Amino acid sequence: MGVTTSALALVKEVALAAHAPRFVYLHWPFGHALGEPGNIAQQRTVLHDMLSMAASAPRPGLVVDLPYKWRREKYPSIIDWETPGDAFVSQLSLLSQEDHGEK
Amino acid sequence: MGKSTTKAGSRWRSVATSTLSRGPGRTHIGWLKELWARFLSNTQLGAEVGHFASKAIALPQLKRLSVGEIPWSPLRKPLSECTVVLVTTGGVHLRSDPPFKVNSDSSFRVIPNGAQAEDLAISHQAYDRTDALKDINLVFPIERLRELEAEHVIGRLAENHYGFGLMGSAKRLMPSIREVARRISESGVDLALLVPA
Repeated sequence: MGVTTSALALVKEVALAAHAPRFVYLHWPFGHALGEPGNIAQQRTVLHDMLSMAASAPRPGLVVDLPYKWRREKYPSIIDWETPGDAFVSQLSLLSQEDHGEK
Repeated sequence: MGKSTTKAGSRWRSVATSTLSRGPGRTHIGWLKELWARFLSNTQLGAEVGHFASKAIALPQLKRLSVGEIPWSPLRKPLSECTVVLVTTGGVHLRSDPPFKVNSDSSFRVIPNGAQAEDLAISHQAYDRTDALKDINLVFPIERLRELEAEHVIGRLAENHYGFGLMGSAKRLMPSIREVARRISESGVDLALLVPA
Protein backbone atom coordinates (compact mmCIF):
# COMPACT_ATOMS: atom_id res chain seq x y z
CA MET A 1 0.00 0.00 0.00
CA GLY A 2 1.48 3.30 -1.03
CA VAL A 3 1.68 6.60 0.80
CA THR A 4 -0.50 9.50 -0.38
CA THR A 5 1.55 12.48 -1.57
CA SER A 6 0.63 16.11 -2.09
CA ALA A 7 3.25 18.43 -3.54
CA LEU A 8 3.82 22.13 -4.06
CA ALA A 9 5.12 23.22 -7.46
CA LEU A 10 7.11 26.33 -8.39
CA VAL A 11 7.50 25.64 -12.11
CA LYS A 12 4.29 24.39 -13.70
CA GLU A 13 5.80 22.67 -16.74
CA VAL A 14 8.18 20.72 -14.51
CA ALA A 15 5.31 19.67 -12.25
CA LEU A 16 3.28 18.44 -15.23
CA ALA A 17 6.27 16.49 -16.57
CA ALA A 18 7.06 14.97 -13.17
CA HIS A 19 3.90 12.83 -13.33
CA ALA A 20 3.41 13.09 -9.58
CA PRO A 21 -0.10 12.24 -8.39
CA ARG A 22 -1.08 15.62 -6.86
CA PHE A 23 0.37 19.10 -7.25
CA VAL A 24 -0.74 22.58 -6.30
CA TYR A 25 1.10 25.32 -8.16
CA LEU A 26 2.01 28.80 -6.96
CA HIS A 27 3.79 31.31 -9.15
CA TRP A 28 5.83 32.82 -6.32
CA PRO A 29 9.54 33.70 -6.05
CA PHE A 30 12.06 30.92 -5.46
CA GLY A 31 12.64 30.32 -1.76
CA HIS A 32 9.07 31.34 -0.88
CA ALA A 33 7.11 28.14 -1.45
CA LEU A 34 4.63 29.04 1.32
CA GLY A 35 4.77 32.81 0.85
CA GLU A 36 6.04 35.73 2.87
CA PRO A 37 7.95 35.39 6.15
CA GLY A 38 5.63 35.63 9.14
CA ASN A 39 2.42 35.52 7.10
CA ILE A 40 0.79 32.70 9.02
CA ALA A 41 -2.62 33.03 7.32
CA GLN A 42 -0.93 32.67 3.94
CA GLN A 43 1.05 29.62 5.04
CA ARG A 44 -2.04 27.99 6.52
CA THR A 45 -3.97 28.59 3.31
CA VAL A 46 -1.28 26.87 1.24
CA LEU A 47 -1.27 23.91 3.64
CA HIS A 48 -5.07 23.80 3.60
CA ASP A 49 -5.01 23.56 -0.20
CA MET A 50 -2.29 20.87 -0.10
CA LEU A 51 -4.40 18.86 2.37
CA SER A 52 -7.53 19.41 0.25
CA MET A 53 -5.57 18.14 -2.74
CA ALA A 54 -4.56 15.05 -0.78
CA ALA A 55 -8.13 14.36 0.28
CA SER A 56 -10.10 15.32 -2.81
CA ALA A 57 -8.11 15.23 -6.07
CA PRO A 58 -10.30 13.19 -8.42
CA ARG A 59 -7.56 11.66 -10.55
CA PRO A 60 -3.74 11.40 -10.71
CA GLY A 61 -1.58 13.96 -12.51
CA LEU A 62 -3.53 17.14 -11.75
CA VAL A 63 -1.65 20.40 -11.17
CA VAL A 64 -4.04 22.88 -9.56
CA ASP A 65 -3.07 26.45 -10.31
CA LEU A 66 -3.68 28.46 -7.12
CA PRO A 67 -4.70 32.04 -7.86
CA TYR A 68 -3.16 33.83 -4.86
CA LYS A 69 -1.03 36.90 -5.40
CA TRP A 70 2.41 36.80 -3.87
CA ARG A 71 1.77 39.90 -1.76
CA ARG A 72 -1.20 41.94 -0.56
CA GLU A 73 -3.66 39.06 -0.72
CA LYS A 74 -6.33 38.71 1.97
CA TYR A 75 -6.47 35.22 3.42
CA PRO A 76 -9.71 34.52 5.31
CA SER A 77 -9.25 32.31 8.38
CA ILE A 78 -10.01 28.67 7.74
CA ILE A 79 -13.08 27.53 9.63
CA ASP A 80 -13.39 23.94 8.46
CA TRP A 81 -10.21 22.16 7.35
CA GLU A 82 -12.19 19.22 5.98
CA THR A 83 -13.87 21.52 3.43
CA PRO A 84 -11.68 22.74 0.56
CA GLY A 85 -11.36 26.52 0.17
CA ASP A 86 -13.31 28.44 -2.50
CA ALA A 87 -10.24 29.37 -4.59
CA PHE A 88 -9.03 25.77 -4.61
CA VAL A 89 -12.47 24.41 -5.53
CA SER A 90 -12.92 26.79 -8.44
CA GLN A 91 -9.43 26.08 -9.84
CA LEU A 92 -9.96 22.34 -9.48
CA SER A 93 -13.31 22.57 -11.25
CA LEU A 94 -11.62 24.34 -14.19
CA LEU A 95 -9.45 21.25 -14.60
CA SER A 96 -12.43 18.88 -14.45
CA GLN A 97 -14.16 20.98 -17.11
CA GLU A 98 -11.08 20.51 -19.31
CA ASP A 99 -11.31 16.76 -18.64
CA HIS A 100 -14.91 16.69 -19.83
CA GLY A 101 -14.11 18.91 -22.80
CA GLU A 102 -11.54 16.37 -24.01
CA LYS A 103 -14.02 13.49 -23.95
CA MET B 1 27.31 34.37 27.32
CA GLY B 2 27.02 37.02 29.97
CA LYS B 3 23.52 37.25 31.31
CA SER B 4 20.84 34.78 30.53
CA THR B 5 18.07 35.20 32.97
CA THR B 6 15.12 34.86 30.62
CA LYS B 7 13.35 31.57 30.04
CA ALA B 8 14.98 31.23 26.63
CA GLY B 9 18.29 32.29 28.10
CA SER B 10 18.70 29.17 30.17
CA ARG B 11 18.43 27.12 27.00
CA TRP B 12 21.00 29.21 25.20
CA ARG B 13 23.61 28.90 27.92
CA SER B 14 24.33 25.35 26.91
CA VAL B 15 25.16 26.38 23.35
CA ALA B 16 28.90 26.82 23.12
CA THR B 17 29.19 29.55 20.53
CA SER B 18 29.54 33.27 20.89
CA THR B 19 27.31 34.25 17.98
CA LEU B 20 23.95 32.92 19.02
CA SER B 21 21.00 33.25 16.78
CA ARG B 22 17.46 32.07 17.29
CA GLY B 23 16.89 31.30 13.65
CA PRO B 24 18.28 28.62 11.36
CA GLY B 25 21.89 28.89 10.20
CA ARG B 26 23.07 30.21 6.86
CA THR B 27 25.76 27.96 5.38
CA HIS B 28 28.54 29.97 3.78
CA ILE B 29 28.33 29.76 -0.02
CA GLY B 30 30.49 32.72 -1.08
CA TRP B 31 29.42 36.18 -2.18
CA LEU B 32 29.16 35.41 -5.89
CA LYS B 33 26.72 32.53 -5.37
CA GLU B 34 24.85 34.63 -2.81
CA LEU B 35 24.49 37.40 -5.39
CA TRP B 36 23.27 34.91 -7.99
CA ALA B 37 20.74 33.45 -5.55
CA ARG B 38 19.43 36.96 -4.81
CA PHE B 39 19.07 37.62 -8.52
CA LEU B 40 17.05 34.41 -8.96
CA SER B 41 14.72 35.08 -6.02
CA ASN B 42 14.31 38.83 -6.03
CA THR B 43 14.14 40.09 -9.60
CA GLN B 44 11.66 39.49 -12.40
CA LEU B 45 14.46 38.66 -14.83
CA GLY B 46 16.00 36.28 -12.28
CA ALA B 47 12.67 34.49 -11.87
CA GLU B 48 12.48 34.05 -15.64
CA VAL B 49 16.05 32.77 -15.79
CA GLY B 50 15.30 30.36 -12.92
CA HIS B 51 12.13 29.05 -14.57
CA PHE B 52 13.95 28.67 -17.88
CA ALA B 53 16.89 26.87 -16.25
CA SER B 54 14.74 24.48 -14.25
CA LYS B 55 12.74 23.58 -17.36
CA ALA B 56 15.91 23.15 -19.44
CA ILE B 57 17.47 20.91 -16.80
CA ALA B 58 14.43 18.98 -15.59
CA LEU B 59 12.15 18.46 -18.58
CA PRO B 60 14.37 16.18 -20.72
CA GLN B 61 15.21 14.04 -17.66
CA LEU B 62 11.60 13.83 -16.51
CA LYS B 63 10.45 12.81 -19.98
CA ARG B 64 12.86 9.87 -19.79
CA LEU B 65 12.15 8.93 -16.18
CA SER B 66 8.41 9.58 -15.83
CA VAL B 67 7.10 6.78 -17.96
CA GLY B 68 4.07 4.62 -17.33
CA GLU B 69 1.08 5.22 -15.13
CA ILE B 70 1.07 7.98 -12.56
CA PRO B 71 1.04 6.30 -9.13
CA TRP B 72 -2.20 6.70 -7.20
CA SER B 73 -2.65 6.01 -3.50
CA PRO B 74 -5.79 7.77 -2.24
CA LEU B 75 -6.02 8.70 1.44
CA ARG B 76 -7.52 5.83 3.38
CA LYS B 77 -8.62 7.77 6.44
CA PRO B 78 -9.71 11.27 7.47
CA LEU B 79 -6.92 13.87 7.70
CA SER B 80 -7.51 14.10 11.43
CA GLU B 81 -6.29 10.49 11.75
CA CYS B 82 -3.37 10.74 9.33
CA THR B 83 0.32 10.59 10.18
CA VAL B 84 2.01 13.29 8.09
CA VAL B 85 5.64 13.53 6.96
CA LEU B 86 7.28 16.60 5.49
CA VAL B 87 9.83 16.37 2.67
CA THR B 88 11.62 19.53 1.57
CA THR B 89 14.02 20.11 -1.31
CA GLY B 90 15.00 23.52 0.08
CA GLY B 91 18.40 22.42 1.42
CA VAL B 92 17.17 22.23 5.03
CA HIS B 93 19.13 20.04 7.47
CA LEU B 94 20.12 19.86 11.12
CA ARG B 95 22.81 22.36 12.02
CA SER B 96 24.74 19.47 13.57
CA ASP B 97 24.70 17.47 10.30
CA PRO B 98 27.13 17.96 7.40
CA PRO B 99 25.78 20.65 5.07
CA PHE B 100 24.67 19.80 1.54
CA LYS B 101 27.17 20.56 -1.20
CA VAL B 102 25.44 23.66 -2.49
CA ASN B 103 25.93 23.17 -6.21
CA SER B 104 24.97 19.49 -6.40
CA ASP B 105 24.21 16.91 -3.74
CA SER B 106 22.30 13.66 -4.14
CA SER B 107 22.18 12.76 -0.43
CA PHE B 108 19.37 13.44 2.02
CA ARG B 109 19.20 14.44 5.68
CA VAL B 110 16.88 13.25 8.43
CA ILE B 111 15.19 16.07 10.35
CA PRO B 112 13.74 14.77 13.64
CA ASN B 113 10.23 15.99 14.36
CA GLY B 114 11.37 17.70 17.56
CA ALA B 115 13.90 19.94 15.77
CA GLN B 116 13.39 23.66 16.43
CA ALA B 117 14.13 26.42 13.92
CA GLU B 118 17.40 27.25 15.66
CA ASP B 119 18.53 23.60 15.30
CA LEU B 120 18.31 23.86 11.51
CA ALA B 121 20.47 25.25 8.73
CA ILE B 122 19.94 25.83 5.01
CA SER B 123 22.56 24.89 2.39
CA HIS B 124 21.39 25.80 -1.11
CA GLN B 125 22.63 28.12 -3.82
CA ALA B 126 19.66 28.46 -6.14
CA TYR B 127 17.47 30.75 -4.04
CA ASP B 128 17.90 33.68 -1.68
CA ARG B 129 17.73 32.15 1.80
CA THR B 130 17.22 35.46 3.62
CA ASP B 131 13.46 35.11 4.11
CA ALA B 132 13.53 31.35 4.79
CA LEU B 133 16.14 31.94 7.48
CA LYS B 134 13.77 34.46 9.09
CA ASP B 135 10.89 31.99 8.81
CA ILE B 136 11.79 28.37 8.12
CA ASN B 137 8.14 27.61 7.35
CA LEU B 138 8.58 29.13 3.88
CA VAL B 139 10.48 26.03 2.78
CA PHE B 140 9.83 23.63 5.70
CA PRO B 141 6.42 24.41 7.27
CA ILE B 142 7.03 22.37 10.42
CA GLU B 143 5.71 24.99 12.86
CA ARG B 144 2.47 25.38 10.93
CA LEU B 145 2.05 21.59 10.87
CA ARG B 146 2.66 21.39 14.61
CA GLU B 147 -0.20 23.86 15.06
CA LEU B 148 -2.40 21.71 12.82
CA GLU B 149 -1.46 18.67 14.90
CA ALA B 150 -2.40 20.52 18.11
CA GLU B 151 -5.69 21.63 16.51
CA HIS B 152 -6.39 17.98 15.50
CA VAL B 153 -6.61 18.94 11.84
CA ILE B 154 -4.03 16.23 11.13
CA GLY B 155 -3.54 13.14 13.29
CA ARG B 156 0.12 13.43 14.13
CA LEU B 157 3.48 14.29 12.65
CA ALA B 158 5.95 11.55 11.71
CA GLU B 159 8.96 10.93 13.92
CA ASN B 160 11.33 12.02 11.16
CA HIS B 161 11.10 14.40 8.22
CA TYR B 162 13.48 14.57 5.25
CA GLY B 163 15.56 17.23 3.55
CA PHE B 164 17.14 17.29 0.11
CA GLY B 165 19.48 19.86 -1.41
CA LEU B 166 20.05 21.11 -4.93
CA MET B 167 20.59 18.34 -7.47
CA GLY B 168 20.66 18.62 -11.24
CA SER B 169 20.66 14.92 -12.07
CA ALA B 170 17.38 13.14 -11.38
CA LYS B 171 18.99 9.79 -12.13
CA ARG B 172 21.69 10.24 -9.50
CA LEU B 173 19.02 11.33 -7.04
CA MET B 174 16.98 8.15 -7.46
CA PRO B 175 18.77 5.98 -4.84
CA SER B 176 18.14 8.63 -2.15
CA ILE B 177 14.54 9.06 -3.26
CA ARG B 178 13.96 5.30 -3.08
CA GLU B 179 15.55 5.12 0.37
CA VAL B 180 13.43 7.98 1.72
CA ALA B 181 10.31 6.49 0.14
CA ARG B 182 11.12 3.13 1.76
CA ARG B 183 11.63 4.70 5.19
CA ILE B 184 8.43 6.71 4.90
CA SER B 185 6.30 3.78 3.84
CA GLU B 186 7.76 1.52 6.53
CA SER B 187 7.13 4.07 9.28
CA GLY B 188 3.35 4.01 9.00
CA VAL B 189 3.00 7.42 7.38
CA ASP B 190 -0.29 8.11 5.59
CA LEU B 191 0.46 11.40 3.87
CA ALA B 192 3.68 12.99 2.60
CA LEU B 193 3.74 16.74 1.90
CA LEU B 194 6.45 17.72 -0.59
CA VAL B 195 7.77 21.28 -0.49
CA PRO B 196 10.30 22.76 -2.93
CA ALA B 197 12.24 26.00 -2.78
